[in-house]
Amino acid sequence: MAFCCEHSAYSAADLAGRLALHCPENLRVIPVPCAGRVDTLHILKAFENGAAAVLVLGCEEGACHHLTGNTRAKERAKHAEVLLKEIGGNGRYVAMSNLSPNAPHKFVTIVDEMNERIKKSGEVR
Amino acid sequence: MEPRIGVFICDCGGSIKNIDFSQAREKAAKIPDVAFVELSSDLCLKEGEQKMSSSLKAKNIDRVVIAACSPESKKHVFQKALESAGLNGHLLSMVNIREQCSWAHEGDITEKALQMVRMGVNKARSLKPIEKEEISVNKDVLVVGGGFSGMSSAIQLSRLGLRTILLERESALGGKNRDLEDLYGLKTSSLIKEIEGNKDIEVLTSSEVVKVEGKVGDFTVRIRRGTEERSRVFGGIVFATGYETGGDSQLKPGAQITSPNGLAYMLQASNLGGKPRIIGFVFDSSDENSRLASVATLNSALTAKQKWDSEVYVFCKNVKVDGEGLESLYREARECGVVFVKFEEKPKISAQDGRVKIEAKDVLVGEGTALECDLLIAEENFLPSQGTETLSSLLNVRTDSRGFYQEENVHLYPVSSERKGIFFVGDCRGDSAPGRVLTDVSSAVTSLYELLGPGKIVVERDKVKVDPQKCRTCLTCLRACPHSAVGLTRVENGREVAEIWDLACDACGICTALCPAKAIEFEGYSDQQILAQIEAIGVS
Repeated sequence: MAFCCEHSAYSAADLAGRLALHCPENLRVIPVPCAGRVDTLHILKAFENGAAAVLVLGCEEGACHHLTGNTRAKERAKHAEVLLKEIGGNGRYVAMSNLSPNAPHKFVTIVDEMNERIKKSGEVR
Repeated sequence: MEPRIGVFICDCGGSIKNIDFSQAREKAAKIPDVAFVELSSDLCLKEGEQKMSSSLKAKNIDRVVIAACSPESKKHVFQKALESAGLNGHLLSMVNIREQCSWAHEGDITEKALQMVRMGVNKARSLKPIEKEEISVNKDVLVVGGGFSGMSSAIQLSRLGLRTILLERESALGGKNRDLEDLYGLKTSSLIKEIEGNKDIEVLTSSEVVKVEGKVGDFTVRIRRGTEERSRVFGGIVFATGYETGGDSQLKPGAQITSPNGLAYMLQASNLGGKPRIIGFVFDSSDENSRLASVATLNSALTAKQKWDSEVYVFCKNVKVDGEGLESLYREARECGVVFVKFEEKPKISAQDGRVKIEAKDVLVGEGTALECDLLIAEENFLPSQGTETLSSLLNVRTDSRGFYQEENVHLYPVSSERKGIFFVGDCRGDSAPGRVLTDVSSAVTSLYELLGPGKIVVERDKVKVDPQKCRTCLTCLRACPHSAVGLTRVENGREVAEIWDLACDACGICTALCPAKAIEFEGYSDQQILAQIEAIGVS
């Protein structure tokens, strides 16, 4: 599950599709207007609904379209990680990454890496 | 009432090949609340649109899910189609089965596409219409700074029919270029003349901005003139506050040492004692932001060469020639006989019998070189003009690492600030080549005309909205809003609650995520709508 900022990651994902860069099939994208819109609750709910990993993808640091959205998202992702550990989410991951809208390769790399991690931990069906 | 959702699945003219559309149609029709599913291959074209419109009316559909291309490319087209069919354009949920599904995978991907449609339907279920509203705005513009860029802005604005107040801190217009036209090649005298004869431009000299309140279309600005203070309302504000120069701390200006500005004054003076025979420039800027210093050095070196016929040597680390016309200026200087010496280590400067000695290691020749000159021109530092810091905190806008105003986005919106209706032009956003100043002015003026020209702005009413019953006035949103779009309003029982100004809001949702009372609803990205999409991944 990836929450994608419409100013960066969502466009990068579109570009990846246009360039026929292959993403893992188990990726689901929820567009958000800014990574700062993503709440800890959303991340945890994704796990509750069976996600093995949650990615919060926002603009590059210092280049957030809404100035502080990406830094807030980073803190929230960290917070969610702590909560996840507390409730025993072993083998499940949450991470925040930054990328620019013209970085389709980076998008695919981020998603692939996460997919490898959850494959290793056996969380992928 | 149960929503009636219409699902349209489009294969984008046959470009989506790895989805089994008839199977998708069959399965999508079984999703709860889906009234009907239609396949298409030209939904964004006129024929497809007409077909969609008639189906919407015939089946009495009140929510639409379109599974096709990325919303980035065609969402606005589909929104218009919905509106022409009598539905609110916001009752649309787009599912990106092309870029992020079909094209991103090999082999049959129908299952994923279906799950994405389920996510879209789940979101569509709770969509609410958003009405558009016209808000009338004040068309007057305040231009702060009466230098070259400020005056050009005011003139261009008045040509487009926007009345302008031009504010200048000094007692007369002109800024730095009034006396130093030769230094940067920007002529101001004709601008001053034009402004004097323009009845749409009101000039306030010896005046300063004290306070700025409100939002685009309705800024209340407190202006101090002498001891008198008064408030005026403007639709937009342009800051053209320029820069300041500070001397090199190690070299004290004197008879033999001066700055490029000082040299420009000397060049203009008619009764100069004697012409300096040998002039040395020491120009140490090596960072990415030395355009203005390069222009000043090249211009004054060239003028000195031409006017006094002196021997001119420029000791430099780097000459930045990436602005308009700078490369040719550099060539012209070389062709006229100006000698450039490139160094890496800072040159040694000493005084000797009323002359100045410069010792440097020429990295191109690899040897040390020494020059005794009659006049040394030391480089100056370019700093943000006085008051930039106060103004930026007053306006709640950022400054860069050197204290200049920071543009919203260097590449996309170079002259906009993060607040709608406030623009920065010219050297107050970091030093730049003169060519860029003109570009800045034009883009700020065009943006302002686009915003204020029609006299009203169309906004989506209550897209992001505070529920006054839930708001506890903790001011978290007010502090966090990156666009200063939150204010306070008084409700019936006298309590003050947060209010989001549709005009200034950029719909990022940061406040919605932060609000501890969950009092802020962001239609289209509400908690309910995001969670509904998440829930769809659990069902398969």
